Amino acid sequence: MRARTPRDPARARRRRRRARFLITFLSPAIVLYSVFVLWPYAQSFYIALTQWRGVSANRTFIGLANFEKLVSDPNFWNALGHNGLMLIALPAATIGLALFFAALFAQGGRTVRGAGFYRVVFFAPQVMSVVAIGLIWSFVFHPTIGLLNGALSAAGLDGLKRTWLGDPDTVLWAIALVVVWQAVGFYMVLFIAGMQAIPMSLYEAATLDGASRWQAFWRITLPLLWGHVRTALVFISIGALDLFAIVQVMTRGGPNRASDVVALFMYETAFSFSDFGYATAIGVALLLMTLTLAVLMLKATQREHIEY
Amino acid sequence: MGEHDGQVRVVSRRRFLGRSAAFLGSTAAFGILQACAGRATPSSSAPIASGGPGLSPGASGEATNPLGVPAGEPLEVVIFKGGYGDDYAINAEKIFNRVHPDTKITHLGIQRLREQLQPRFVGGNPPDVIDNSGGGNLDTAALVAEGQLADLADLMDAPALDTPGETFGDTLLAGSQSGGVFDGKQHVLKYASFVFGIWYSDSLFKSKGWQYPKTWDEMLTLSDEIKKAGISPWTYEGKNPYYFTQIFNQMIWKHGGMQTYVNLDNLEPNAWKQPEVVNVAEALYQLADRGFFLPGTEGLTNTESQAEWLQGKAALLPVGSWIENEMKGLIPDGFDMVVQPTPSLDASDKVPAQGIQSGAGEDFIVPAQGKNVQAGKEFLRVLFSRESAKFFAENTKSTTVVLNSTEGLKLGTAFDSVITAVSTAGPNLLDPLAGYVVWYNKLVTEVNNQMASLLTKRIQPAEFLGNIQKVADQIAQDPSIKKYKRSA
Repeated sequence: MRARTPRDPARARRRRRRARFLITFLSPAIVLYSVFVLWPYAQSFYIALTQWRGVSANRTFIGLANFEKLVSDPNFWNALGHNGLMLIALPAATIGLALFFAALFAQGGRTVRGAGFYRVVFFAPQVMSVVAIGLIWSFVFHPTIGLLNGALSAAGLDGLKRTWLGDPDTVLWAIALVVVWQAVGFYMVLFIAGMQAIPMSLYEAATLDGASRWQAFWRITLPLLWGHVRTALVFISIGALDLFAIVQVMTRGGPNRASDVVALFMYETAFSFSDFGYATAIGVALLLMTLTLAVLMLKATQREHIEY
Repeated sequence: MGEHDGQVRVVSRRRFLGRSAAFLGSTAAFGILQACAGRATPSSSAPIASGGPGLSPGASGEATNPLGVPAGEPLEVVIFKGGYGDDYAINAEKIFNRVHPDTKITHLGIQRLREQLQPRFVGGNPPDVIDNSGGGNLDTAALVAEGQLADLADLMDAPALDTPGETFGDTLLAGSQSGGVFDGKQHVLKYASFVFGIWYSDSLFKSKGWQYPKTWDEMLTLSDEIKKAGISPWTYEGKNPYYFTQIFNQMIWKHGGMQTYVNLDNLEPNAWKQPEVVNVAEALYQLADRGFFLPGTEGLTNTESQAEWLQGKAALLPVGSWIENEMKGLIPDGFDMVVQPTPSLDASDKVPAQGIQSGAGEDFIVPAQGKNVQAGKEFLRVLFSRESAKFFAENTKSTTVVLNSTEGLKLGTAFDSVITAVSTAGPNLLDPLAGYVVWYNKLVTEVNNQMASLLTKRIQPAEFLGNIQKVADQIAQDPSIKKYKRSA
């Protein structure tokens, strides 16, 4: 057999042709992505170093002053604190519930009656827009005509009635509930798909050895599903650092910043206070935090890959 | 940067006093209070024809075209198409073309101005005239700070289009344009006028024998009485209590006088801790402390709180006179909504109890970098003409700042009470959209936020004012925010 060297003329030609083919098809996407995603990202690093009102082309370079303002801004830390709470609560609740339902409907090929129906019901919020969900839940939480307070009244639990979105003690958790409600269905379907790929024989063997469903879940399902759980964890965590849309629709960060999040604070700084330079600095900080978090999370949750 | 613009203020105050009589004339023209007419008003507007008011086509260019609109240059108009629609602007464009037949007008009626127009300001190619209104409007103060808005002085002094013998500025409601003055320069013109106060159902009050009070003590007594009758005395837009902050402003102005209020605008040290301001904050706190608010109010939006009020669950509601139009279709028959000013805090008040907030919305601006700045101004001269303003009133059931433009129009109980409130107020009018309210969005947001906490008793009046003062101080020291001053 002839040695395969790069100098092989036929091979080199083939390669060139292939490269040309790839570039032709990829370049429109790459150009669009560069112009509308990468370039603005790069630009924002510069804008973050300027003072800019955003209503003229007039920008003044001020070095790191915006970032100095950021670290000493109590409103920023307030918003970040809320993102931090969400970062703990949302993944735990969403993944926990999604795993529970997925195991109920799919683990080891067994299922509860009507599982198909529940799957559709749980998945339904995923196909609705965040704005619609925010509005619907605002009515559920409505203090006088809301479903929630109405149900509490009907159950004779008037003492538990709250102004859910007007009370700084409950507003964040009310919003968290909505986010979890929307997300659980999607991750449930993701986990069901993962569980269906786990060989039935493992569960059969476990059952023969006398393992309960609970044990089978911890010893078989969860370890073999770990890749899916990791993905979910990263996705939900990135989502927890955003939350702009749902908060904007439901409370606009109120009452008195009790449900403010960094993304909304950035929006307010830019569009209400016309401080685009500072707002861009907030955006850059948020970008760096999100990237760091994603990398850390992937590193921390790395496990040996199990073949099956 | 912004120093006292005393000279200009003196001029506008003189104009204000000179026209307080004219104002009474305007209310007469509304067809309600004919007997109060303080001076003769022209019975009809001069017909607008090409060539301008009462002038033959051969008259000098300066008289027929005082702003020097270049012939044949196109004009681009952008209108916020909100509650008032944009028919009135299209009508004004027709009048414009009667005066300047060879100007080609591009009309755009949109809702979210910021998204569409901000890049054009940054790019240096904004439209020629804009109705900068609605929730997604451009930040006027920022535009002024960047020198993006034309000075409208020549327009103010130009002859009015269809009121012979008066300048454009003379034909506008006294004091209605003070909020558009930045550093002594008129950069914004406001079109639709409104009154801001406390609203209730006149039929409800009559059936219960309740009297709207003149002092705060009486207000607390009345609220107690309403509560005993099984109705919540008050509600407001709890999620973002902006209207309540306007009530707060109105009471500060009355209790402490204009100087006290202007000290807040000018970011004077410890302005928010002036004794008069403290008194008002403590008074408002009483409403929360005595449980006078409809339970759950803090979770309501403005329209939700207005709906509760219309259903009779609460008796008193702070809002502006757009309420009737806004809640159209939801108002029960015989509700008979009426407006009243805030009561006096006590006998030491500097402004009488009948003083009220009267302002105007639909903010018109002419970008300095527009291609046809003079035509942009001319469009405003046309839009603010009596013929155009009358069309607006008929088309939207709302009034404008243009004097003598609503002869013979009939417009409901709320409207009648607005006319009464303004005419009893006499010269005691406060523009709610002037001063810190338009200069410093950050301060407005803070007052809103802290008001939400005060009215739910999460903070005490001292902490409420302390928190606001902190942000006012931050703004005063922040070099990136342009400062303005005004005098009382």
